[in-house]
Amino acid sequence: MPERTGRGPVDPRLLSRARATRFFLGAGVAAGTATALLVIYQAWLLARTISSFTQATALDGLTTTLVLLAVVLLGRAGLTWLTTWLAHRSAAAVKSQLRHDIMAATLEAPGGTPSASLVTLMTQGLDGLDGYFSKYLPQLVLAVTVPLFVGAAILFADWGSAAIIAVTVPLIPLFMAMIGWTTEARVRRRYRYQTRLARHFADLVAGLPTLQVFGRAKAQAEGLRRTEDANRTETMGTLRISFLSALVLELLSTLSVAIVALTVGTRLVYYGIDFRTALFVLILAPEVYLPIRQVGVHYHDSADGIAAAEAAFVEIDRMQARTGTAAVGTGPIVVEELTHSYGDVVALPPTSFVLAPGEVVALSGPSGGGKSTLLSALLGFLTPTGGSVTVDGVGPADTTGRTWRRRFAYVPQTPGLIAGTVADNVRLADPQAGDDEVREVLAAAGAPELELDHLVGDEAEGLSAGERRRVGIARALLRIRRDADVLVLDEPTAGLDADSEAIVVESVRASGASAIVVSHRPAVLAAADRVVQVGGDA
Amino acid sequence: MRSGWQRLVADLLRSVPRGRWLLAASIVLAALASGASIALIGVSAWLISKAAEHPNFLDLSVAAVGVRFFGISRGVFRYTERLVGHELALRMQSALRLRTYTTLARTTLMGKRHGDMLVRVVADVEAVQDVVVRVVLPFASAVVVMVGTSAMLVRFSLGNAAVLLATAVVAGLVLPAWAQRVSRDADAAAIPLRGRLADQVRQTALVAVDLVAYDADTAALARIDDLDAQLRAAERRATAVRAWAAAGQVVAAGTAVIAALWIGGAAVVSGAIAPRLLAVLVLTPLALHEVLGGLAQAAQTLTRAQTALDRVVEVLDAEPVGRGDAPLADASEHPAVHVADLTIGWPGFAPVGSGISFDLAAGESVAVVGPSGVGKTTLAATVLGLIPPVSGEVTTSGRVGYLAQDAHLFATTIAENVRIGNKDATDDEVVAALDQAGLPLDPDRIVGELGATLSGGEARRLALSRLFAGSYDVLVLDEPSEHLDAPTANALLDDLWSSVGTRPLLVVTHDERVVARCDKVVRLTA
Repeated sequence: MPERTGRGPVDPRLLSRARATRFFLGAGVAAGTATALLVIYQAWLLARTISSFTQATALDGLTTTLVLLAVVLLGRAGLTWLTTWLAHRSAAAVKSQLRHDIMAATLEAPGGTPSASLVTLMTQGLDGLDGYFSKYLPQLVLAVTVPLFVGAAILFADWGSAAIIAVTVPLIPLFMAMIGWTTEARVRRRYRYQTRLARHFADLVAGLPTLQVFGRAKAQAEGLRRTEDANRTETMGTLRISFLSALVLELLSTLSVAIVALTVGTRLVYYGIDFRTALFVLILAPEVYLPIRQVGVHYHDSADGIAAAEAAFVEIDRMQARTGTAAVGTGPIVVEELTHSYGDVVALPPTSFVLAPGEVVALSGPSGGGKSTLLSALLGFLTPTGGSVTVDGVGPADTTGRTWRRRFAYVPQTPGLIAGTVADNVRLADPQAGDDEVREVLAAAGAPELELDHLVGDEAEGLSAGERRRVGIARALLRIRRDADVLVLDEPTAGLDADSEAIVVESVRASGASAIVVSHRPAVLAAADRVVQVGGDA
Repeated sequence: MRSGWQRLVADLLRSVPRGRWLLAASIVLAALASGASIALIGVSAWLISKAAEHPNFLDLSVAAVGVRFFGISRGVFRYTERLVGHELALRMQSALRLRTYTTLARTTLMGKRHGDMLVRVVADVEAVQDVVVRVVLPFASAVVVMVGTSAMLVRFSLGNAAVLLATAVVAGLVLPAWAQRVSRDADAAAIPLRGRLADQVRQTALVAVDLVAYDADTAALARIDDLDAQLRAAERRATAVRAWAAAGQVVAAGTAVIAALWIGGAAVVSGAIAPRLLAVLVLTPLALHEVLGGLAQAAQTLTRAQTALDRVVEVLDAEPVGRGDAPLADASEHPAVHVADLTIGWPGFAPVGSGISFDLAAGESVAVVGPSGVGKTTLAATVLGLIPPVSGEVTTSGRVGYLAQDAHLFATTIAENVRIGNKDATDDEVVAALDQAGLPLDPDRIVGELGATLSGGEARRLALSRLFAGSYDVLVLDEPSEHLDAPTANALLDDLWSSVGTRPLLVVTHDERVVARCDKVVRLTA
């Protein structure tokens, strides 16, 4: 039983942000109203026909009634079909929109969420919305429309029965709230303990390889048996309480139908009501409670769906799409008192420097001193908490990320490589680059031996850490040959031998671009025009 | 011929104490609960029809008691059924978990290839609960109710009873089964698409920075949108089937009602049955079909559950590989490893390395290097005795301990985690082992999923302390510096080398810094 957030049955953000939801709710209400009207008409037809047989001596007119009934039932079947179909279309539309928005947010502000959680969210997570749309929302709509219309129909036919229903229907949420209220603390406490026990199995299985290495795996089976027994006892204890609300729901709904039947029956005996009306009321009474009961059945689907939407919005909200239109000039890059902190933790102490065109500046400082943070702020991946980065007075916030980064060719500490070939990865900088040029930049990056069609697997499988870095550098050099003019290199020569390192340093110089290089290596620091200390003087 | 998951469920049912009794009890209770709601309508219809004849009020008293009884009992039956059914389902789940655990414990699981399977199987075994509570019970009880209700109607009208049974079978069994079969095929077609979407998302997220920095993000986003569109089309096919099945159920219910009016009306006119029974004949099918409405859902649950359980069956039926638990050797005064002309390979797979020879004595360290996939972890597993060598010779003297790069931290205290290395370690020994591993943490602190997480370096040190707690004589280290940043890795390696003393050290690595610290290098080639 997932813990419920304070939000209502429909997440307002799903309504405002996923347009398909609004359409679906609108169409759903229409279909729900039509269903309610058909239910009423069907009950009226049945009541009339059945009551007519008390005096009937022939099957006069029955055929007409049966045809009408068939039409009504086909209409209900059509509405069922339509609701299922609409639900799917809406779920699919919302899922697609959220998938797109999540990915766009990830690409706008990369590096926030671990890839594994993102994959789960994008696949199973969002699939939680299927249940929400196909089961929960349609039922919710029916639970509002059907009791309202059917209740009104009963009221017109027989206000006494309507009164019984009008009293009992509000009792359902009232009693359920009371039960939820009085048992909440107990359920929550048990649930926590039970969750811990339930995770024991997952923990043991995940730890099996480790246990085996220490010769302890088989011996743990006995412990597992004990935890499983305890887990079952606890779970049953929780269920005994949490099924209570379902019990009340069913008791109230069936008991109300029984009371309606009994009172109507009694009044019938004493000529207080006619047979046809009594039948009409009896047929309709369960219809009032059915959709309300079904909403309870699909409660879990709503929780899953809302949790999925919530996780999606957390992802999407990380993105602050920049819409500025300022152009970025070709002047020096001015870093002024740039600083960043996460809460109280200072990730980057205030740092200032100016990078003139053609200049090579090395950033030096202790590990964790904020060098990579500075690069992230420089590239606009991170909004610093203080200070600024500007080019001719324009900062990353004044323009789109794409425009701002046009001048930069960036090599992160661990360059990310797409699955494909070495050439595919270098060509990220320019898909039109010819083989010869790709070979040239690879050689300039100190990797002349790498074949262009050398396969790169998932997570750069098939390349060593050094090769991976050099492919990243080659890619940056290719971008510099196009329209970029600032190399941003994070530890470009870590793990490279002295010869390769010399080639890289030489190529950076030869490219004529300005460069910001994070490095500890003396050879790199020596080749720089200036060394800027970031975070202490170690 | 039963399929894998059916055999598994039947098997578990037998292995659970009083399993069949619990199953029978919950089917009966579920049938009683559904039966009560049908009977409520049926008896109410009779009561009203009879009341319309303005009889003596006493003539209605039996029916009135029935109406009250069915009105109350439905909820009570349902509540009891839920509890009994869940008790059974949980017992079967526990039995399956134990069976899965003991089976997995018998097969050697070291190495990366098992990670996904272990995660998946944990979720998969939970499907047995769904099968019992959401599939078996609804269908079994529905069959009882269908037959029972039809049998009751036989007393009044054979024709009505026959039509009701036929429409109930269509709505409750045929349509759900059809929808399940067809949409399962459509769902199956969507599985590879889901896999591709997941791959694409993961890759894009991993290289997002680079894609953005090189303006390749629009293309990446377009690829994901494209996969999403394909997935949508595949899901649409499955939904169409479900929509038709749901509509079909309404049509079946309508057929039952119309037939009841037609046949019942004729019977009333001909005087075969009393007019007051017509309402019973017409309203009972409505109530029965309402009960059957949920079965399409049950059939869909089955699709998901059976795929999961089939995967569990696969795990349970797999031949054990290696010996599971590492053998516990005696301590030795002269710990050593002797490897001569060794060919290694995972049982059931092609050998990955051959002609491996080296000797490792006290005070020595040997680095095993080579490209990934060349069998470094397989060599470690062979030296540990977890899997047999394909050919050649491995002899070890002394207890061999292994430090994995991804050693699991259990969700419990630091002390209990250390005791994985030696379950009898005293509190003092635990503290000593932690000190030796350079991890001065509170032994009572909770770690893992439930507690604070440790940094990569701390986790590696905690795993190392297990080896010190267990007084292992020979240490096998698997990529000890992997995934650690340079300062952390260096600090760890410094401490490691100073704390192992004269224990022979076999290090599997591709990190040059680690290789540089070793006395000998064994190079594996593909």
